[in-house]
Amino acid sequence: MIQYLAGRLLITIVMALLATLVVFLVANTVPGDPVLAFLGDVAASNPAFVADFRAKWGLDLPLWDRYWIFLTGLFHGDLGQSIASQRAVMDDIVEYAPATVELSTIAFILSLMVGVPLGIAAAVWRDRLVDHVARVVSLIGVSAPTFWLAFIVLAVFYGQLGWAPGPGRIPSFAFPPDRVTGLMLVDTALAGDWELFHEAAAHLVLPAIVLASATLGLITRTTRAAMLDTLGRDYIRMARAKGLSRYVVIVTHAFSNAVIPVITLAGLAYGNLLTGAVMTETVFAWPGLGRYTFRAAVALDVPAIMAITLLVAIVYLVVNLLVDLSYALLDPRATRR
Amino acid sequence: MTDLPIDRRTLFGLAAAFGVASPYAAVRRAAAQSGRKGTLIIALDISDTTTLDPARVAQYSSPMTVHACYDSLITMEPGEYINVKPAVATEWGLTPDGKSMRFKIRQGIRFASGAPLTAEDVKFSLERIIHLKDQSQQYIAHVDRVEVIDPQTVDVVMNDPSQPLLTILAAPGFGITEKKVVEAHGGKGIPGAKDTDTATRWLDQNSAGSGPFRLVGWERNQQIQLARNPHHWAGEPGYQRIVIRHMSESAAQLLALRRGDVDVAFNLIPEQIATLGDSPDITVMRALSLDYLYMAVSEDAQNPALAKKAARQAIGYAIDYDGIIHSFVAGQAKRPASFLPIGVNGSTEEIAKQVGFRQDLDRARSLLKEAGLPDGFSFDLSFANAAIFGVSYQLIAQKLQADLARVGIKANLAPMDQVGMRTQFIQGKLQSCLTYWNPPAVENQLWASATVNRVAQRVHWTPPAEIKKLVDDASAERDLAKAAAMWTEYQRQMVDAAHLIILIQPVYQVGVRKTVQDMHLTAAGWMAEYAKARPA
Repeated sequence: MIQYLAGRLLITIVMALLATLVVFLVANTVPGDPVLAFLGDVAASNPAFVADFRAKWGLDLPLWDRYWIFLTGLFHGDLGQSIASQRAVMDDIVEYAPATVELSTIAFILSLMVGVPLGIAAAVWRDRLVDHVARVVSLIGVSAPTFWLAFIVLAVFYGQLGWAPGPGRIPSFAFPPDRVTGLMLVDTALAGDWELFHEAAAHLVLPAIVLASATLGLITRTTRAAMLDTLGRDYIRMARAKGLSRYVVIVTHAFSNAVIPVITLAGLAYGNLLTGAVMTETVFAWPGLGRYTFRAAVALDVPAIMAITLLVAIVYLVVNLLVDLSYALLDPRATRR
Repeated sequence: MTDLPIDRRTLFGLAAAFGVASPYAAVRRAAAQSGRKGTLIIALDISDTTTLDPARVAQYSSPMTVHACYDSLITMEPGEYINVKPAVATEWGLTPDGKSMRFKIRQGIRFASGAPLTAEDVKFSLERIIHLKDQSQQYIAHVDRVEVIDPQTVDVVMNDPSQPLLTILAAPGFGITEKKVVEAHGGKGIPGAKDTDTATRWLDQNSAGSGPFRLVGWERNQQIQLARNPHHWAGEPGYQRIVIRHMSESAAQLLALRRGDVDVAFNLIPEQIATLGDSPDITVMRALSLDYLYMAVSEDAQNPALAKKAARQAIGYAIDYDGIIHSFVAGQAKRPASFLPIGVNGSTEEIAKQVGFRQDLDRARSLLKEAGLPDGFSFDLSFANAAIFGVSYQLIAQKLQADLARVGIKANLAPMDQVGMRTQFIQGKLQSCLTYWNPPAVENQLWASATVNRVAQRVHWTPPAEIKKLVDDASAERDLAKAAAMWTEYQRQMVDAAHLIILIQPVYQVGVRKTVQDMHLTAAGWMAEYAKARPA
């Protein structure tokens, strides 16, 4: 088992580094020059100033030297310097990642808590009202463009009805809590500011619903399909024939066998949420990684793009690993090979 | 000084326990008294802000904050961009030898810390900029040093006194910082500061100026918090606090403005402004900007047709300028004759009418005949996949394509990414492109010298010596009326050369709740004045 894990880790790390190499080469062959774009017009036209700026940020070195510096920097936890933000990429990630992690995690929990029961119900009462409702909900979730959905939700529940608070993580009037973890719920709790804690939680509701919607649809549909598959099996008929209660049959016998594809999908979905929240973050003025990634790409900020690539690869690696490990816990057959 | 009986860690622990470690603690107490009403909340896209150290400010959104925290020697009043006004300095003039500008410093100015502002602070602030050699230094490259004459008088000594100084010193980047405080946080105003100055990190979170407000915190892509400076020389500001909230999406800004969660929204697009007309709570403030969108046309050998002046002029006379301004920005824009925006010395709407391009299709056709291209020609028009002033470049390019087609000129549209487009333009690789200019300081020379030097290179134009001399003479001319005549002549010659065709000089439109009084928009580079703003 340990050997298997170590092998997988090694392969995925190599894959992640290869991904950064590809990104590095592609980003350096496009005709744009991020330095000229970043500097003001006067500075950008002064060759001495531009050369100085390149030297300061190590951009005057040959391509392979720069990649080598990136690799060696990794071993010291140094992800390089961002051109667009003018500071260490690590500082940027530490600043923006918590907002994304907080939002994605809440959205993920939300989509599981709604999606799984809805999927089970849809399978149990197949072609009945609840199944149709589940179908419509997942169809909207999967097919509605996030950008559009985010706007509509914000315009209706904030703009028109005033039920939900506006964009941002805390009210515009409030002072942010002292930064400890960067997770607003945790920091407000640590500061003992329960009023702000409630505000922060309220600010999470709309973006979390929007972000959860796409994943929710997938999880509902997958749960339903897996449940239908198991509910038709002989052992379920057997369990029913034994006179077991409906609850025991559905939850213990059927669902615990249907859970594997749901876990697989959920793992992927969580990775997706962590890395793909650009649109939601934009509309809700959420200072997260999605927005940062988008700006890095637009500014051709190569060091930031590479760090993000690596981070995304690592997130998927870890999530996949956890999913695989959970198989062993949930289904003893997985370890008997 | 004796050692403290307890170590630093214990002290910090104690401080944290009593809540004094928080940078917001003191402000929080003050704000609790004044409430929401005493706080001005501004929605603005601040994603381009990379620093709030005045000596390093170079982006678009940061000057607003820096101007609120720091006073410059002189300033410009909203709407008046020709004559500079006193700020830290009450009077100024060239020294008898003509090499220095002497500034008399206002009596009784105090920094937010309470300490008086003296000539030493002015010397330190300007020399720190000089020795940091960051982007701001590029604009005062002709300043050699600053000499303290007495505590209320300084001489700014120049290598080349013919270069403009006053208008540049009005920019927020040249705000006066408190020497003692900045030095205490690693600031250096001496040679070598480029490598040894470490104050920026502190100045990103705090300010050391005499402006109406002081910086108490900045969280990137989230918010900037300002608190009032009770010592401000022009009187105590009307708001206790200013919060600048980052909102990159204009629709979110509009919703927050309508609900009253923000008081001012800077990034609304023309369609959204139009919906505010009937709002009982919101007014739209307008101010003619000094920014503009223009089309650059290159003489590059790749396209022999564009090398002919008459062919480029034909482009200038074929464009439906009024149509562009009406359909894309609902008429909220002007159009100068050439590279000097309307509002600066020598550029008015009247002058633009006299010497600028206007749509004249017959003239365009006869110019094409004159160029030996009676059936027209084709060329590549590049633009970025982005929007400017709330209008996508793509739409403007399509409109230009349609206009030019009417005289037989075929524009091949070439959309590209923003960075690629800017890089290729700076490197002179584009036949023509759409781009914009916003000034780092209100100074004609900054615009004009660009057109005959670096921008001229980008469009492969060798300007005649006559026009270069005209720019130099007009820049050095101290008599504003004489200078105005020269700038008009400069614009006439630029229109004749037909490399830069100005399309839109937009009017800034800012949504402001009616509870905000006496806030003023400015086009001088820092967006708005908050010193006198107050709640109704």
